[in-house]
Amino acid sequence: MGKIFVVFKREYLERVRSRWFIVATVLGPVFMAAIIVVPALLAARTKSSSNLANVIVLDATQTDLGARIAKSLAAAAPTSPPPRVVTVAADQLAAAADSATHVVMRHGAQGYLVLDDSTLTGAEARYAGRNASSLADIGTLRSTVQRSVLDLRLERAGINPDSVAKLTGVKLDFKTDKITDKGLESGGGMSSIIFGYGIAFLLYMMIALYGQTILRGVLEEKTTRVAEVVISSVKPDQLLAGKILGVGSVALTQVLVWTASAIYLASFSVAIIRALGGSAADAAGIHMPTVSVGVGVALLLFFVLGFMFYASLFAAVGAMVSNQEDVQQAQLPVMLPLIAAIVLMGPVLANPSSTLSRVASWIPFSAPIIMPMRMALIPIPWPELVGTLVGLALACWAAIWVSARIYRVGLLMYGKRPSVRELVKWIRMA
Amino acid sequence: MHGLVSFPLDPFPMTDLAIDIRGVVKRYDEHVAVNDFSLQVPRGTVYGLLGPNGAGKTTTIRMILDILEPDEGSISILGQPVRGGKVLDRVGYLPEERGLYKKMQVRRALKFLAELKGVDGKTADRRIDQWLDRLQLRTAEKDWGAAKIDELSRGMQQKVQFIGTLLHEPDLVILDEPFSGLDPINAQALKDTVMDLRGSGKTVIFSTHMMDNAERICDSVCIIAKGKKVLDGQVQDVKAEHGIRNVAVALDGGSRDIVLAALADPALVAKYDDQNQYFEVELAPHADAQELLQRMVRGGARLSRFELIQPSLHQIFLDRVGATGVEPGMSGNG
Repeated sequence: MGKIFVVFKREYLERVRSRWFIVATVLGPVFMAAIIVVPALLAARTKSSSNLANVIVLDATQTDLGARIAKSLAAAAPTSPPPRVVTVAADQLAAAADSATHVVMRHGAQGYLVLDDSTLTGAEARYAGRNASSLADIGTLRSTVQRSVLDLRLERAGINPDSVAKLTGVKLDFKTDKITDKGLESGGGMSSIIFGYGIAFLLYMMIALYGQTILRGVLEEKTTRVAEVVISSVKPDQLLAGKILGVGSVALTQVLVWTASAIYLASFSVAIIRALGGSAADAAGIHMPTVSVGVGVALLLFFVLGFMFYASLFAAVGAMVSNQEDVQQAQLPVMLPLIAAIVLMGPVLANPSSTLSRVASWIPFSAPIIMPMRMALIPIPWPELVGTLVGLALACWAAIWVSARIYRVGLLMYGKRPSVRELVKWIRMA
Repeated sequence: MHGLVSFPLDPFPMTDLAIDIRGVVKRYDEHVAVNDFSLQVPRGTVYGLLGPNGAGKTTTIRMILDILEPDEGSISILGQPVRGGKVLDRVGYLPEERGLYKKMQVRRALKFLAELKGVDGKTADRRIDQWLDRLQLRTAEKDWGAAKIDELSRGMQQKVQFIGTLLHEPDLVILDEPFSGLDPINAQALKDTVMDLRGSGKTVIFSTHMMDNAERICDSVCIIAKGKKVLDGQVQDVKAEHGIRNVAVALDGGSRDIVLAALADPALVAKYDDQNQYFEVELAPHADAQELLQRMVRGGARLSRFELIQPSLHQIFLDRVGATGVEPGMSGNG
C-alpha cells in the first residue's frame, strides 16, 4: 500500500500542478456552456433565407391555392422578390416544371413549388430549388402550404376567412413537469433532460480524456525507459494501481470543482439569464434538478467503476504499444465501444425505458454513460440499479485482471505491437 | 576451486553473501535464456558479470530484482529470498536502458525514486541536496534541482540517474552496462563512485560486455555465455589459472614485416592480436618465448617492449568461449 500511495501521489500532484489542468478546470465550464448555449442561440436565430419567396408556384389545382400561398410567402419574407404564380393544366405540369428548372438554373428564381390535385387532398406537394436542403426554408414552405390548404378547405366548408384566422391561430406554450416517487417536480421535465444529457456527456469526456491520459502515461514510462528504473522498486500491479487511482482522482477533482462552481453559479441563474437578454419568466423555468443522496452515490459509483473499467483497458493499450504512431490503431478497440455509448445517447434520451436503453445499461461498455443518463430522466427500479452496478463492478474486476497481465509483460517489451494471439500468450504467461 | 564457490568449506556464512543464486533456470518460448546458473557474491566486493550481448546478463539481473521469476532454482540477496520480500528496498539498480520523467522537476523525480524505496520525505530532501552539491548540479549560480529534467544536458541527466540509484543508500548496487552512453567525465565519476561504495562496504554488481572496463574495476568476475556460467572467481586467480602464455610486443619503428614473419610460425605462435605498432601474442603450446624473441632480433627487428604478460579477460574469454560467443564490439574499451 505504501508504494501504491507513492505512485498515486506522484500521478496526482504532477497532473494537478500542471498548467493544463488549471486552465482546463477554470475554462472547462465556460467551454461546456459555449458548446451547449452557442448552438442553441444560433439555432434560435437562424431564420429562413431572405429571398425565400423568390419562387415560381406552378399551380395545377384549378383553384386560388397558388395565389394564397404566394400571398402568405410574400408576407413571410417581405424583403424577397415576390413569388410568381403560373397556372398550368395538369397535363402540362411536367413541361412547366422542366422550364422552371431552367429558370432556377439561370438564377431566375430560388426554386419552384408544384401544386396539384393531390395537394388539395392533403397528400402531397413538391418543391425543387437551390435551398432544398435548408431546414428553415423548407419548414416555412411546408407550413405555408399546409396552412393555405387548410384555409381553403375551411372556406369551402363555409367558414368566414376572418374566423378561420382566429380559430387556427393557436400559439401554445407547452410546459412539462416530472413526477417521481417523491411527487411533482415543477419545471423538472426539460431540465432533467439537459441534466441527463450533460452528465452522460461529462462522463464520456472524463473517461475518454483521462483514459487516454493513462495510456499516454504508460507509454511515456515505456518510451523513456522510466519503467526499467522504477520496476525494480515497485511491482507492476502496484504501479498500475497507483496510476489509475492517481489519474482517476485528478478527474474526480475536476468534476467536483465543476459541480461546485455549477451549483454556485446556479444561485445567480436569474441574473445571468437577464444579462443574456432573457426574461425573468425564462429564468423561472430553469431549476437545478434535485439529486438525492442515493442517486448521488450511484452516480459516483458509475463514474468510479466506469473510469476504472476503461482506464485499465487504456493502460493495457499503453503497455502494448511502443510508439506514438501505433496508439491510434491500438486504442480503437477501446474507443469504439465508448463512441458507441455516445451514439446511443440520442435513442436513450428519446425513450429511457425502451428495451434498447435497458440493454445498454447492462453492457459494461455503455453502462457507465447510459445508466447515469437514464437515472436523470426516469426513476430506475432499484434491482436494476444494483444489478447494473454489480455487473459493471464484475466487468471492472475482469478488465483490471486482464490489463494487469498485459501490463506486466508489456511494460518491458519493445518493438512490434503484439497480435491477438501474442496477447493471449502474454495474459497466460504473466 | 576458488574460495568464493567452494562448499561446504564456504569461508562466509550464508548471510555474508550479497547474492546467492542457486541452480536458476529461465526459459522463454523456444530458448533457454539462463541455464542452471549459480553465483555467490560476497559482501563488499565489486563483482563483474561479463558476457556478450544476449548471454543472459539482463535476464539474470531481472531475476535478482524479482522482475522476472525463475522457472527453477532460488535467489537470495543479503540473506533473504527476493520473492515478495522487502529486501529489494536495499538494492539500487541502474538499468541498461534508463530514463526519467522528462517533464518532472529534478528534485521531485529524485524524491519519488527515494520514496519508492521507502525513504521518508525529509531524509530524501536532505540527501538530494547533498548529492546535487557533490555532483555539481547545484552551484552558486544555478540550482539544477529546480529545473525540469528535459532542461538538463544528457550528461546532467546521467548524473541525476546515478543519484536516483543511490539515494536510498543501498547495500547492494546493480549496474547494468553502466558505461553505455556515458561521456568520459561521467564515466570517471561513476568509477569514483563505485570505489567510494566499495570503501564503505557496499557490494557492487557490474554487468558489462566490455572486458577492459571490468578488468580494471572488478575484484571478481563471472563470465557467462549463452545462459551458462563459463568461469568465475577473483580476477587475479582467473588470470593466474590461465597461465602466462602471452607476450606483449611493441615496435620501435618500421620492423613490422620482420615481426609478422616471426609470428607466422605456428610452432611458436597460437594466435596474435595485431594492433599495428603493438601485438598481443599467445604462444603455441610448449613454445618458448625466448625463441620468439631471438627470431625477431636476429631478423633485425627493433623492439621497444617484449614482455611476458597475464592474459586479458578478453583473451581468456576467447579461449574459453571461442569466437562463437563473441559479437562485434565486445572487446570495446568504453
